[in-house]
Amino acid sequence: MLSNLGNTLIIVALLISFLLVFFSFKEFRTNNNSIPGKIYKISLLQLFFTASSFIILLLAYVLSDFSLANVYENSHTNKPLFYKISGTWGNHEGSLLLWINILVLFSSLFLFINKNKDKDFKILTLLFQNILVIIFLIFLLSNSNPFSKLFPIPLEGLGLNPILQDPALAIHPPLLYVGFVGSSIYFSAALAALISKIDSQSLAISIKPWVLVSWFFQTVGILVGSIWAYYELGWGGYWFWDPVENSSLMPWFVMTALLHSILVLERRIGLYSWVIVLSILTFTMSVTGTFLVRSGILNSVHTFASDPSRGLFILSFLIIMVFFSIYIFFKFAPNESKKYTIFSKETFIIANNWFMIFFLGVVLIGTLYPVFLDTITGSKISVGPPYYNLVLAPFLIPLLFLMTSGPNYKWISHETKSFFDLVLVLSVILFLITFLLIKESSFLLNLILFFSIYLIIQTLFDFYESFKKKNINISRIISHLGFGLLIFFIYINHIFSQENNFNLKLGEIKKTDQYIIKFENLEEKSIKNYKSIVGYFNISDKKTSITKELKPEIRVYDKPITITYEASIESNLFSDTYLTMSNISETDVFNIKFQVKPFMNFIWFSVLLLSLGGLLNFLSRNKNEKN
Amino acid sequence: MKTIINILLLFFFITSESHANENLNNKILKNLRCLVCQGQTVQDSNSEFALIIKSVVKDKIKEGNSEKEIYQFLSEKFGDWILLNPPFKKNSYLLWFLPYLLFILGIILLFFLLKKPKIRSKE
Repeated sequence: MLSNLGNTLIIVALLISFLLVFFSFKEFRTNNNSIPGKIYKISLLQLFFTASSFIILLLAYVLSDFSLANVYENSHTNKPLFYKISGTWGNHEGSLLLWINILVLFSSLFLFINKNKDKDFKILTLLFQNILVIIFLIFLLSNSNPFSKLFPIPLEGLGLNPILQDPALAIHPPLLYVGFVGSSIYFSAALAALISKIDSQSLAISIKPWVLVSWFFQTVGILVGSIWAYYELGWGGYWFWDPVENSSLMPWFVMTALLHSILVLERRIGLYSWVIVLSILTFTMSVTGTFLVRSGILNSVHTFASDPSRGLFILSFLIIMVFFSIYIFFKFAPNESKKYTIFSKETFIIANNWFMIFFLGVVLIGTLYPVFLDTITGSKISVGPPYYNLVLAPFLIPLLFLMTSGPNYKWISHETKSFFDLVLVLSVILFLITFLLIKESSFLLNLILFFSIYLIIQTLFDFYESFKKKNINISRIISHLGFGLLIFFIYINHIFSQENNFNLKLGEIKKTDQYIIKFENLEEKSIKNYKSIVGYFNISDKKTSITKELKPEIRVYDKPITITYEASIESNLFSDTYLTMSNISETDVFNIKFQVKPFMNFIWFSVLLLSLGGLLNFLSRNKNEKN
Repeated sequence: MKTIINILLLFFFITSESHANENLNNKILKNLRCLVCQGQTVQDSNSEFALIIKSVVKDKIKEGNSEKEIYQFLSEKFGDWILLNPPFKKNSYLLWFLPYLLFILGIILLFFLLKKPKIRSKE
């Protein structure tokens, strides 16, 4: 029943999308000054049908309707309601439907909210956006239909991968999708801008809120994924430079570049073509990311939904999209007048873009090189964290420096502003204090430490200055401060993290340099959809004699049968104590991984601060528009 | 200018003291891929394979092998796939050089972009 209903809704949505494209095309370059009401109505209808299809799928999950192959493969009646709901997008087909829903939602929102007067620009954006909708709907229907029927109807489902049964991972994909898919709207708008030849300022105003929104969601999405990896995967790290993580980071770099160059565009200084290139590149990177994740050509911790035939579809789409964009770009690219001056604010923004594109390049090379090498020569190599750290870390230094000094330059003019010496002196003093405490020997790491401190101090000073003048660019300050703090705390965390691996039997004690770890008890528990072996550990600090109780678990999920190792984390403001245990087969010995990780909460907080800047900018924009 | 002085100043404060707590064993294990897992390091995995590699590395360190020799030994046995830090050799030249090439290309592009308006204003 639900299957038929879902299929019907999708087909109707597809027909409506065709209608929308048809009418948009007819409306293009007519003498009408405004978009006719019927287009608004069709757009609403389209939104209604796609949203209903998603609700139907949601319902099928909640009711455990196993006549849908998708529900059968990814759900189970014993699963808690929350994970039945999140299971809707915890698989390829369901997440594709969510993806389409966001595409359509953004298409409507753009039509209704955007106040741009240029009709051709709006109608073309709508046209391109809905071509994307059609392509993804066809992909859904032909290859990845979540409403596919199953007969005979099974009594019980196969269940959801246990490591996906987690609150953070329930919200992680929707967040990232708003980021990924959000970039589609400025992709469409960029192509439309080229053809309708709107001026730079109105392009900037039209796409800026969308860039901010998608950037914000992308940042938060990455953060949530990172937190999830930290406590769920059980290795105590939060970033592994894993290909799937990389594919969420790649669009982020381009979005960040775009966010900055829009500022230049807004002031009609230049970068029109460049903003268009970046807009196209962002969506291209989003689709590339999706391709890499879904095609299964990558070996990753996060691979849950992969199938080569999907990969082929996405890859073909990607190639056509790129070539089409390049064609449009060269056919319509405008001649620009440029007004840059060296040592002006726009130069620093261009430098920001140069770094972002460089970072993107490195991550792209690191991710794809092994794939190409394997295909061409058949030899397999791994590109892991050491590569990225080695290649990227040195470039953080100039980036941090540019972030420190750039914002204080003026637009266009190259009026030099003296560096505020107190800031520099203060930074040097703080650096020396930190240095004496840490005594890190690596020259590179020391430089990074210094420049992150310099950025933090300068930004705080800027805040004070602009507060006095009552002219606060609060979003820039918060985001830059967040980034400075992020680098600083990652550094401190890296230096002071402790890790001990050892084997222990029940009742035994292990002494490390600073801690005494006692394996006190072992308990078996049976919970709704899994069995659990809980270890009780007593950790006492030799110096402060503070004790902590940690309870790591080994969980055995029955549907599907999977073993997961749940870390036990005691999180304080300044430090996390992290413990995982795993059994060594055919013995009564457990392998214990004990870690002390300082400032983890500060790392999360820094990223939140970084994203908050974007959100504030978005909100203050809306306020300005209303006034 | 001040930054340059600043950087020079930093040189004087660099001590040769190295971190004693840097455990060679942990460092090596973190740079090895667990071949039977999905994107995990040997250090982080508890699979049988990881346990074997852990004991092999331990023995090799005891025998007095250097970090490099251990990587060499493991890559001969399991291929370069096991090394998360891709060794610098024929098939990875491009991997190591391409980023820097990209960076330099960026400088050149930037140079032309910023230079153009100056010429125009002279005209």
